[in-house]
Amino acid sequence: MGRDEVLALVRDRLADILEIEPADIGEGDSFADDLDADSLALIELVEALEEELAERSVGFRIEDEDLEDLRSVRDAVDYVVAKLG
Amino acid sequence: MLPIAVDAMGGDHAPGEIVAGARRATDELQIPVVLVGRPEELGDTGDLEVIAAGEVIPMDAEPGTSVRTMKDSSMIRAAEAVRNGQASAMVSAGNTGAAMAAALLRMGRIRGIGRPAIATPIPTPGGLPTTMLDSGANAECRPEWLVQFARMGTVYARDRFGIERPRVGLLSIGEEAGKGNSFVKAVFDLLTDTGWAEAVSAEWIGNVEGRDIMTCQVDVVVTDGFTGNVTLKSLEGAMRALTGRLLVAIDTNDATRAAGRSLGPALDEMVAELHPDSVGGALLLGVNGVCVISHGSSRAGAITAQFGLPPRWCRPVWSITSPPRPDEFRFRLGLNRSARLVWLERGKCRQKRISNEGRWDATRY
Repeated sequence: MGRDEVLALVRDRLADILEIEPADIGEGDSFADDLDADSLALIELVEALEEELAERSVGFRIEDEDLEDLRSVRDAVDYVVAKLG
Repeated sequence: MLPIAVDAMGGDHAPGEIVAGARRATDELQIPVVLVGRPEELGDTGDLEVIAAGEVIPMDAEPGTSVRTMKDSSMIRAAEAVRNGQASAMVSAGNTGAAMAAALLRMGRIRGIGRPAIATPIPTPGGLPTTMLDSGANAECRPEWLVQFARMGTVYARDRFGIERPRVGLLSIGEEAGKGNSFVKAVFDLLTDTGWAEAVSAEWIGNVEGRDIMTCQVDVVVTDGFTGNVTLKSLEGAMRALTGRLLVAIDTNDATRAAGRSLGPALDEMVAELHPDSVGGALLLGVNGVCVISHGSSRAGAITAQFGLPPRWCRPVWSITSPPRPDEFRFRLGLNRSARLVWLERGKCRQKRISNEGRWDATRY
């Protein structure tokens, strides 16, 4: 799964959670400052990504201790790409 | 009817009281129930089915983290039972925030709703209950969420209580438009300007005060979860204090005790109508499934309360809730059985034992 695909997936799931258009989500956007996403919204995102990616990468999981480092869309995409190897 | 998934491990008196309440609901009212919890800790479950869950989310756990890390908890498994079509609803007396997060993450949100809210019917003397939301799911809210709460509360009040055009008020510290803190003022402006009331056939009546909640002047009261929870528990405490003081007054002398015996049935009725527990658990509105959140201190002996839910959201469902208050208070009046009354007096906890003859034996501890 390439980086562009991961970015599209993150945008798509985040748009669904925040009820905005995917096109309104920039890669450099901060979850809190630009997208107004609170901690529960981020947990929704993480759970959605884990569910989706578990089918492609068995046991895919975003570690809870890593959550606080994911502050922007770019952070999340980089993290997922690295985990998928 | 699909069974109700009861989180048997959630609550101050779980699992014993919860299991007892669930059994009573099934035995006496033929309400199908499936328990969710650690089978080895549930005791005698009778004929009830059990969904095994190995973990328990503590009452003081951080909701988001606990829901992420305790996927085999009774609360998560109960929410999954609803999501997977094994149960028609979940009921939990456990950690409120975690119950909200579990329902949100497993059942999903209704589109257009930022956060679900707990809708609590508040008893109103001589009238239909006032629905207050949020009663504690979201300690911190955004102003736009309260507009969503107003919409949900309107639909709920109409569908559950048959109020055609519910009057909706915003809880504040004064009726005038300018009253309240900056958050309340921002909500007031949104509720006044956004046209939501016409969309759901509600009547927006502006600010209301705490003293208005138990009157017939308002049908739906919206507030943030912090204020709502404080308000709810204040009302509970006031009702209990008032009832306790009334019983002490009845016990003043032989004449008042005789009057108490005469008034007993009427007082029973009053207490049954006004006691906070008479309405049972509260519905979590805004999730794509049915979740009933009960008081953390819920005991079994459980009564059942029927919920008439918005049909476009879910199917009709029953919930298992709190203590058998009417009986308890009848006993406390000393009319027919021995019971104990406990109350606070000048900062000290006191109790009285009521004998079979309706006389009182006071002790202090």
